[in-house]
Amino acid sequence: MAVKALAGTIVCGAVMLHATVAGAQSAAVEFDQSAGYSTEAVAAVHTKLHAFGEASPGLRFNVTSVWGKRSEESDAFGAAYPYTDHPVVLDAYAERTFRRAEKLFGVRVGRYRTPFGISSESDQAYVGFLRDPLIRYDDFFALSSAFFEHGADVVVGWPRLSLEASLGASADVGEHTRSTGLDQVLRGQAAAGDFIVGASYIHTRPHLARAEIDLPVGLDGDARLDQDIAADETRPLAPGRATFGGVDVRWMRGGVQLRGEVIAGRPFDGAATHGGYLDLIVHRPSMGPLTAALRAEHLAHRDGSMTVLNGERYVAAMRINVGHGVIAHVEMLHTTEGLSDHRPSAFDIGVSYSRRLQ
Amino acid sequence: MCTAAASTRGAVLVAALWCASTILAGAHADDFDLRGTVRVAAHPEPDAVVWLDAPNAPRAPSEKPVVLDQRNFTFFPHVLAVRAGTMIDLPNNDRVFHNVFSFHDGKRFDLGLYPVGTSKQVYFDKPGLSRVFCNIHPNMTAYVKVVDSPYFAVSDREGRFTITSVPPGTYTYHAWRPGREELTGSSTLTPATVLDLQWR
Repeated sequence: MAVKALAGTIVCGAVMLHATVAGAQSAAVEFDQSAGYSTEAVAAVHTKLHAFGEASPGLRFNVTSVWGKRSEESDAFGAAYPYTDHPVVLDAYAERTFRRAEKLFGVRVGRYRTPFGISSESDQAYVGFLRDPLIRYDDFFALSSAFFEHGADVVVGWPRLSLEASLGASADVGEHTRSTGLDQVLRGQAAAGDFIVGASYIHTRPHLARAEIDLPVGLDGDARLDQDIAADETRPLAPGRATFGGVDVRWMRGGVQLRGEVIAGRPFDGAATHGGYLDLIVHRPSMGPLTAALRAEHLAHRDGSMTVLNGERYVAAMRINVGHGVIAHVEMLHTTEGLSDHRPSAFDIGVSYSRRLQ
Repeated sequence: MCTAAASTRGAVLVAALWCASTILAGAHADDFDLRGTVRVAAHPEPDAVVWLDAPNAPRAPSEKPVVLDQRNFTFFPHVLAVRAGTMIDLPNNDRVFHNVFSFHDGKRFDLGLYPVGTSKQVYFDKPGLSRVFCNIHPNMTAYVKVVDSPYFAVSDREGRFTITSVPPGTYTYHAWRPGREELTGSSTLTPATVLDLQWR
């Protein structure tokens, strides 16, 4: 399975590269290697291959395969990729975008990230943070950034006012994946001046078992926990449907970006999750290769009358573009009680090397 | 007879329009297209900028818009040459966001994020080299070489270049490519000149 996924990506990339070069279109392959260590006693290494280009004029393709290993379950270093111990294909889609008379029409078909809110890999992985927002961590009853769809995505409108709709079957990557079924995602986006505002809605299936078999964070009881873990591995996913709505806002000026996202909904019948984050990302020209980032975030999850998760996290991060494809990350975070099974404060450090072959 | 008169009037009109356009554009009848090649050792060198010193040359009244595109996670072209005082459009033609910035010796700017189908502009007012990056995608890089002359070109895949509408005369020429020292020399240029430049 693992070898098949990696081999599939390589073969797919090579075929597309050959086809596109033969057709005199552009094509490229990027290689990324990253490693990181967190004082939560988590170490991680990761490899990514990304093939992309134009198969014919205007018809673009994207294929991404990753292979990551992390020493234990955590959200550390999870902003860019899921960790599955074996190679997996993330994106594998073709897309075409038409622009005529200032109008915008785009189609994407294949396997792609669930287009809910601030969801793209570019948005989450390369702005300075090493961890996903809590509301996008698949262990927290919310919307995972590793949710993927097998389906079709259409965007219509104008560059500054567009509506996006996706219809697909869930095909998630990571520890917790949704049960198979049809997913619908709707997203509207408007850009005006320095603002970009979006609103999203998803109707999908649950990806975690009911919270009653998990202990609320901070409660004691090793025996019950072991029993719960055993039950978790054998028990089917929670019944019903999952629905979430969200609003995201970005404001940018002169290298300063303020952005935030609020998401609320039902991860499964009888439960409710809400949360959000506010990021300040500063990359002024005078800062050269440095990008500084701050995040404040909140997450709460209730199952019936029981509060399972409720807390905040504060993150300060810095990204240093060393040059020649090398990027270093440092990140400090503090998590309040009610969310973390680890020490409340942690320090993450990571380094990545990226190279493009054209 | 009528046909001959009409034909003569047409020829005069065409000639008048040609004269007007060349005068407006600052071009002259004896201007020529300078051709040449750029090599590193024996190999043709693409993406080299070649220009001739002419700081006082007149500016054409309407210059074409200059575009540095973001498409397929790539800046296109990789090397862009413009005259000082040029506004460059930087459209985003990818469905992901890019964050274009430059912080080195030339023009310093950070354009932030903007969605597919939209564009931002940067005014390059002084000669120099600007290295352009995307803060999100580290493999996206481009060079904007700003020269104080209307006589410039970028070499193609075969290392060939053509500088259009050059008045005959003696010029100081320059050639630059990423990662190399600038080549400089002087030459009297005529329509018969082929300028072959080579880094060793």
